[in-house]
Amino acid sequence: MEFSELIRTGQAQAELLRGPEMPPLRGTLCVTGHHLLLSPGPQATPDLWLLLLRSVDSIEKRVAGDAGTITLRCKDLRVLQLDIEGVEATLDIARSIEALSSLESVITSFPFFYRPKGLRLGESWHFHPPERYYKRVARETRAWRLSEANEDFSLCPSYPRAVIVPRAVDDDALARSAHFRQGGRFPVLSYYHAPSGTVLLRSSQPLTGPQKRRCAEDEELLQAVLAGARPGSRGFIVDTRSAQAAKQARMTGGGTEAKSAYPGWKRLHRPLERGRPLQESFVHLVEACGDLEQSMDRWLSRLDGCRWLSHVKEALSTACLAAQGMEWEGACILVHGAEGTDSTLLVTSLAQLILDPLSRTMAGFQELIEREWIQAGHPFQLRCAHSAFSHTRPKHEAPIFLLFLDCVWQLGRQFPLSLEFGEGMLLALFDHSYASSFGTFLCNSEKERCLCEVRTRTHSLWSGLNQPKEQRKLRNPLYAPNPLAIWPSVEPQSLQLWQGLFLRWTHPPEPSEVAWEKVWQIATDQEKTEGSQPTDSASEPQP
Amino acid sequence: MSLLRGLLGMELIGISVRLFLDFQEKPASLDSALILDVPLGVISRIEKMGGATSRGENSYGLDITCKDMRNLRFALKQEGHSRRDMFEILTRYAFPLAHSLPIFAFLNEEKFDVDGWMVYNPVEEYRRQGLPNHHWRITFINKCYELCDTYPALLVVPYRASDDDLRRVATFRSRNRLPVLSWIHPENKTVIVRCSQPLVGMSGKRNKDDEKYLDVIRETNRQINKLTIYDARPNVNAVANKATGGGYESDDAYHNAELFFLDIHNIHVMRESLKKVKDIVYPNVEESHWLSSLESTHWLEHIKLVLTGAIQVADRVSSGKSSVVVHCSDGWDRTAQLTSLAMLMLDSYYRSIEGFEILVQKEWISFGHKFASRIGHGDKNHADADRSPIFLQFIDCVWQMSKQFPTAFEFNERFLIVILDHLYSCRFGTFLYNCESAREKQKVTERTVSLWSLINSNKDKFKNPFYTKEINRVLYPVASMRHLELWVNYYIRWNPRIKQQQPNPVEQRYMELLALRDEYIKRLEELQLANSPKLSDPSTSPSSPSQMMPHVQTHF
Repeated sequence: MEFSELIRTGQAQAELLRGPEMPPLRGTLCVTGHHLLLSPGPQATPDLWLLLLRSVDSIEKRVAGDAGTITLRCKDLRVLQLDIEGVEATLDIARSIEALSSLESVITSFPFFYRPKGLRLGESWHFHPPERYYKRVARETRAWRLSEANEDFSLCPSYPRAVIVPRAVDDDALARSAHFRQGGRFPVLSYYHAPSGTVLLRSSQPLTGPQKRRCAEDEELLQAVLAGARPGSRGFIVDTRSAQAAKQARMTGGGTEAKSAYPGWKRLHRPLERGRPLQESFVHLVEACGDLEQSMDRWLSRLDGCRWLSHVKEALSTACLAAQGMEWEGACILVHGAEGTDSTLLVTSLAQLILDPLSRTMAGFQELIEREWIQAGHPFQLRCAHSAFSHTRPKHEAPIFLLFLDCVWQLGRQFPLSLEFGEGMLLALFDHSYASSFGTFLCNSEKERCLCEVRTRTHSLWSGLNQPKEQRKLRNPLYAPNPLAIWPSVEPQSLQLWQGLFLRWTHPPEPSEVAWEKVWQIATDQEKTEGSQPTDSASEPQP
Repeated sequence: MSLLRGLLGMELIGISVRLFLDFQEKPASLDSALILDVPLGVISRIEKMGGATSRGENSYGLDITCKDMRNLRFALKQEGHSRRDMFEILTRYAFPLAHSLPIFAFLNEEKFDVDGWMVYNPVEEYRRQGLPNHHWRITFINKCYELCDTYPALLVVPYRASDDDLRRVATFRSRNRLPVLSWIHPENKTVIVRCSQPLVGMSGKRNKDDEKYLDVIRETNRQINKLTIYDARPNVNAVANKATGGGYESDDAYHNAELFFLDIHNIHVMRESLKKVKDIVYPNVEESHWLSSLESTHWLEHIKLVLTGAIQVADRVSSGKSSVVVHCSDGWDRTAQLTSLAMLMLDSYYRSIEGFEILVQKEWISFGHKFASRIGHGDKNHADADRSPIFLQFIDCVWQMSKQFPTAFEFNERFLIVILDHLYSCRFGTFLYNCESAREKQKVTERTVSLWSLINSNKDKFKNPFYTKEINRVLYPVASMRHLELWVNYYIRWNPRIKQQQPNPVEQRYMELLALRDEYIKRLEELQLANSPKLSDPSTSPSSPSQMMPHVQTHF
């Protein structure tokens, strides 16, 4: 396919309006295969304005007289307006944007063409291989082993090649357990909590069906988990559906673990919203935030009505429950819902942030996202195909990853010193998960990424973010390592709307940036001084 | 609220009651007896619950309502009549006015290094503003509080208005609170003037002197052809006030003025709103529909209206469009809120610790905000209709601004909370009485200690480390509901589930970084001195880290 077939026009004169706080830009507008360009001419200070077409969520066109207006609503929640000279030009540009922004093919997407200066292709993919973590756990515990049973993705298409399982269970048993779990997602280790010697596992629902089928190997696997932990350890299964919903799932072949079949394991139901209701909550919230006409006295109840903050609260409480099970009760925890690719990952990744100081460092957080979201098979391509503005009826879209980022933001707000990364990092992850020049969030699973050769043909977001020039935007200057668990308050008055994200484009320029700039100044001054501080021997006068 | 069980003991120590709770079964979270220090002044109501015959757990005892958003309830044993003594002593000392006892501030013998009463000197403050000048003069006409008994002794009025004019204008304003200057813009010379409502009444009375006086105020700036009057009240309330002799400036009578209503409600509405806030946060936080419940208190909506009004005042003056007259009914509640907040937005001086103290001292204390009536110091009539959290609302607005402009204020959140705590505590004389004349009569400055003595002798505790001093920057906060928050650290601080992070970890970490930097710089300097005696000449020794870096590097 040639992009040129989809580009209806070369260029047009246009004016770009970027919200109340930014001056309008005027210049020549031009559509390329992946970008919308506005070139204001050589004298202007920003000599080029660039928008990745992939980040356009919805497009609206209006023509009047001999001019037209295109409103672009972007996946990062920005709203842009283009005033274009010429009716034909307007319609052509609108059609081009429409066609190019909704291309489904992964391998023609921009990351496959993006070749930034200073980065070498393929070198950074090994920044956070999950195998490294798994090997470490296997070494430390002796009860776990790295299995390559899924080397060819035949056991579970949404798992990575290497997973970590109880040493006592062989690959054949894994295959049978995989057969008994939806999508082949048999229970695997997600996190080993060294202080209590317990583990966090995740899987999908068991396929018990209406006949309440059982699977001996699956039962053995969970038995082996308890046997590998401290003697007498108990286990909790945190099912992210209501008891009712779990029961109903039997009718469609799913279900949940029967008490009698899994001695030592106790089931807890903590229903979390997912799928369409979550997407709708997101859409309503964004609508409410963008509605500037709205009479002010209804804002709080409207915010309440969106229920977004209740989803944040539920996600954090469930993660706390899982973390408490490990830290306080010394229990092993298995988390699953139905498919095990959405709310399951939300809970396991948040529980790790609460418990594990390493996951709160810059590198540890990237590793966590790589291991618990990307490699664990969260279907980013399906979930993030559209953001909150799309007119098309959502099919698979759901802002689960955004909900995760929001929960992390709440943690950072309540523990302002404990996260090495700042709000800038979370905003960058949100932006890149919906539209990116990097390949990290492409596709739905490791299998698909292998087929598309994402690793060798695109750049990793981590290599982009870890460049020195990005650090000031992404890091928390006040970070001080905190070895303890951080237990968030989930009381409603402790949770706040994430203004930095939801009001990012309607908010006047944040004056607190001035404060942060000052903190950075001090923090880096101190590092510099510390770095150049002469050691005693070096400071001896030369003879 | 968690239930604690033990023996209750009580000790009156000076100005506060110390309640001891000795535990029979000690809760795991407490390692010693629980001691509650409750300033007696904070108590608004003490009630006995249950009688000698009440049965059932916790049905007999004392219930203490506090002015600072908490209630304390003690369940006691019926035997021994211990309750009667406790009740009587508490009532006697919590409400000294009803027992012909002095207020505690008069018994307080604390000593501080700094005398807070010296902070505010009106002549100095007006001189800082560049007054008097060609158009404005300082007058002592109210020296004996004869012109207006709720105004300060020293007033700034138009140069062209004679003392007789002032006397005639005062008769046409409620409680004689005639228009006087609060603040003047250093460059464009537009002013903020405050007063009370004109006594228009049902018949629509007019007063030539008042009309002329406002025109004189307008003419202090040649280029202005309309004077802006902000009436803080909702339109309907202003009209209703005509029935009791008040009213507002009509178009026919005041040709060269335009009047706007700011829709801020009266003291009764604010009191009820805060009561609803207390209902949803104490003893338990309303969880299921927190935001909707918060909205139904309308507290943030009132904050928004007050801030919006102040922004309009500030914008008029800062843009030089016109001078502004602000009034409500009596000009001591909403008017004080509006002028002081507008001044805080316009004048960076008031954002320093001392500047803020001066602002409070000037716009609130000297201009007769009725602290005694609004707070009810030492008074047992807790249901008095004069009570209202107007000053608290002002401090809340200041807090909202400090949230939006984290580098603009020299003081931190603790400073605001301490001010509010001592608004009730009666430990200091600062907020006692309704007006300057009453304070003078009671010799408050001689016989009591000022709150600013406490604060200024320990300033570091109240400093915002992010403060960046700037001059002439006007702050316009965003007064949209989206950007206003409930001040959780104040309103919900007694809830055991809210973790108190004291001191603020961000501030603390920042201070650590600053201290570390200073220490490294010092060590570097020392090393340099040791290394190169040539450089030890103080005139060449570098003082800032950026200057000294090159030196250090050339040595390696």
